Amino acid sequence: MAKLTHSDLITLLLAISTMLILSRILAEFGKRWKLPVVMGELLVGILLGPTILGTFAPEISTLLFPLKTNANVSIALDGIFSLSVIMLLFVAGMEVQLTTVLRQGRAAISTGLGSMILPFATGFGLAWYFPQWFDCEPGSQNHFLFALFMGTAMSISALPVIARILMDMNLFRTSIGMIIIASAMFNDLVGWLIFSFILSVGGMGGDKGDVGYTILYILAFGAFMLFIGRRIIDRVLPWIQTRLSWPGGVLSMCLGLCLLCAAFTESIHIHAILGSFIAGIAIGDSVHLREQAREIIHQFVTNFFAPLFFVSIGLKVNFIEHFDLFIVSVVLIVAFVGKVLGAGIGARLGGLSRRNAIAVGFGLNARGAMEIILGTLAFEAGLITQPVFVALVVMALITSIASGPLMRRFVDEVAVPNARA
Amino acid sequence: MDYQKLKRRPSYPFETIGVALAFSPRLEGVLGEAWKLALAFDSQLLLMHIGERTRNKESKLDELVERLGIDEQKVRIIWSEGDPVTTLLDLCKLNIVDLLVLGAMRKENMLRFYLGSVARSVSRKAKCSVLLLTEPKAEGTVFKKLVVNSVESPKTIHTINTAIYFAEHICSKDIVVATEVHQPGLAMTMAGDSTAGEASKIKREFTDEEANRMHAIVTRCRKQGDIEITEKIIKGKPGFAIRQFAETKKADLLVINSPDVKYGLIDRIFTHDMEYILEDLPCNVLIVHSRVS
Repeated sequence: MAKLTHSDLITLLLAISTMLILSRILAEFGKRWKLPVVMGELLVGILLGPTILGTFAPEISTLLFPLKTNANVSIALDGIFSLSVIMLLFVAGMEVQLTTVLRQGRAAISTGLGSMILPFATGFGLAWYFPQWFDCEPGSQNHFLFALFMGTAMSISALPVIARILMDMNLFRTSIGMIIIASAMFNDLVGWLIFSFILSVGGMGGDKGDVGYTILYILAFGAFMLFIGRRIIDRVLPWIQTRLSWPGGVLSMCLGLCLLCAAFTESIHIHAILGSFIAGIAIGDSVHLREQAREIIHQFVTNFFAPLFFVSIGLKVNFIEHFDLFIVSVVLIVAFVGKVLGAGIGARLGGLSRRNAIAVGFGLNARGAMEIILGTLAFEAGLITQPVFVALVVMALITSIASGPLMRRFVDEVAVPNARA
Repeated sequence: MDYQKLKRRPSYPFETIGVALAFSPRLEGVLGEAWKLALAFDSQLLLMHIGERTRNKESKLDELVERLGIDEQKVRIIWSEGDPVTTLLDLCKLNIVDLLVLGAMRKENMLRFYLGSVARSVSRKAKCSVLLLTEPKAEGTVFKKLVVNSVESPKTIHTINTAIYFAEHICSKDIVVATEVHQPGLAMTMAGDSTAGEASKIKREFTDEEANRMHAIVTRCRKQGDIEITEKIIKGKPGFAIRQFAETKKADLLVINSPDVKYGLIDRIFTHDMEYILEDLPCNVLIVHSRVS
């Protein structure tokens, strides 16, 4: 069995502790200006990676993060980063509560559909008709997948950022807040299903799947977990929570099931993220999952795995070298127009006032961490270039920061008090 | 049919009580319960059977009416054929039934639940209040402890008032009004950047907000004599939490709002709200149809 040497282990532990401590410090600073935590984490990666430290003091950067010079540490870190993204998708899934979408009824369904369809169409159209802008060869094998990806990237929303904004604006428990939350859940569900399909068909990891079989596998796995798996979990969870150690028992079983599902989907050539995401939905939707267990899982993933993953992004890409103002501008414009219009029209059709519909559009426009995860996976799969990836990260940050203030300008006064879902 | 008469008709008093007769082993229990209620509320009793009218059934019903001491002056019997659910619902509308009494299994087997039994299907669609009796007794159930689900809806005040009216007529003194606190996305929102103090403050605020809202509704209700109303906050998913609460409290009757939207198969697969209660009835259930627009 290959082992890390004494010095490899020290390097690995140093790298992890540096990422965790610095990202927490920057996140706490960012909190004062109400900036999303993910921004601090990304900034640490940018500071420590090729963008800043790698340019001005490359020897220190390499010493801390020998991704190119030490294969052992590089593989170990890669394993941790992969585990991080799996866990991130697991907790994202845990918050997709399909019953919340159903409870909100027509308004949530039409907003959810509107905030998917138009952004998807604009993103797809942009990549399909102007692939040369993004360094994608027209008519190439990747062209269609790239267009599909851009459509998905434009249609996804970031539930954690949106929920935080709504809470800060005292809109979290209003009808408009619940419509936004339910629509974001819907966006996440459909978006990650499509993205899993893209990664599988695109052959991430060198194993291309047949289109028909891939769709069949995704649907079969999703249907099994959501219809049968969910029922089994519902039956087993009370037993686990009362008979096994608390909260150790439920945490081990939930995380174990997440990794098991991730391993299964990876083995049938669908990306591991789909397994963990669907496992998250099945577990998170259970009425028997105690709130305390849910909070512990969230705390563990958000404060350990998330910083490692988001810092790692800055370690892999030079953000200054690959910053292309044209691509960033195009991506930003399409992202804003597609999402605000699409969600706004959907909300209007769902019966909201014009101003509230626009507010819903701006609310759902926040892409946050989800967009960055999506972009990272696509970048690692070779689906997008570094400039496109940088543009997506910038778009994710700008849409997240702008979402709250823009919502505040449009939301009706009457939506704030006493308009509960 | 003049359905206009139904519009804005208050959920109480129960002038007409309808009973669905299935000629099952629980027939005597259901009929006995309905008669006791009709006496308590001074209502007309409408017995409805959807199915073939046979001499055997007629004599069985006559025998039961006699045995239970039912006053024939206060009873009408309707025999009809067709789809049990739609026919029953039409008859209720046509005869302006205020309360429909049905016998219901505590738990249906999975296939029957998904396909929809008569009692559950009627509960989802009825345009009048529905009383589901899990263990109907010929001598009548004693409804001592009532639990009312207070959800944020204009219907809730009518539901609580109906529960008070019910309690008043069956001489119950104990009503617990319970509201559920559930906020999807809260754990995730607070995981990254909330201190312990902030997190507990947010949770406390949510709970206080719900408690104040419930209290505001209860203070607007019609108070009656010595009926004691207790307010209670419970945590958990709507529908499921109240079901568990009613079970733990050993309630005799759980009173809930009628659904705001039409429930279908998808609502049974991804169970929510009233479907949690219909999935596994914790006790007798009164679904109040308040007919507010």
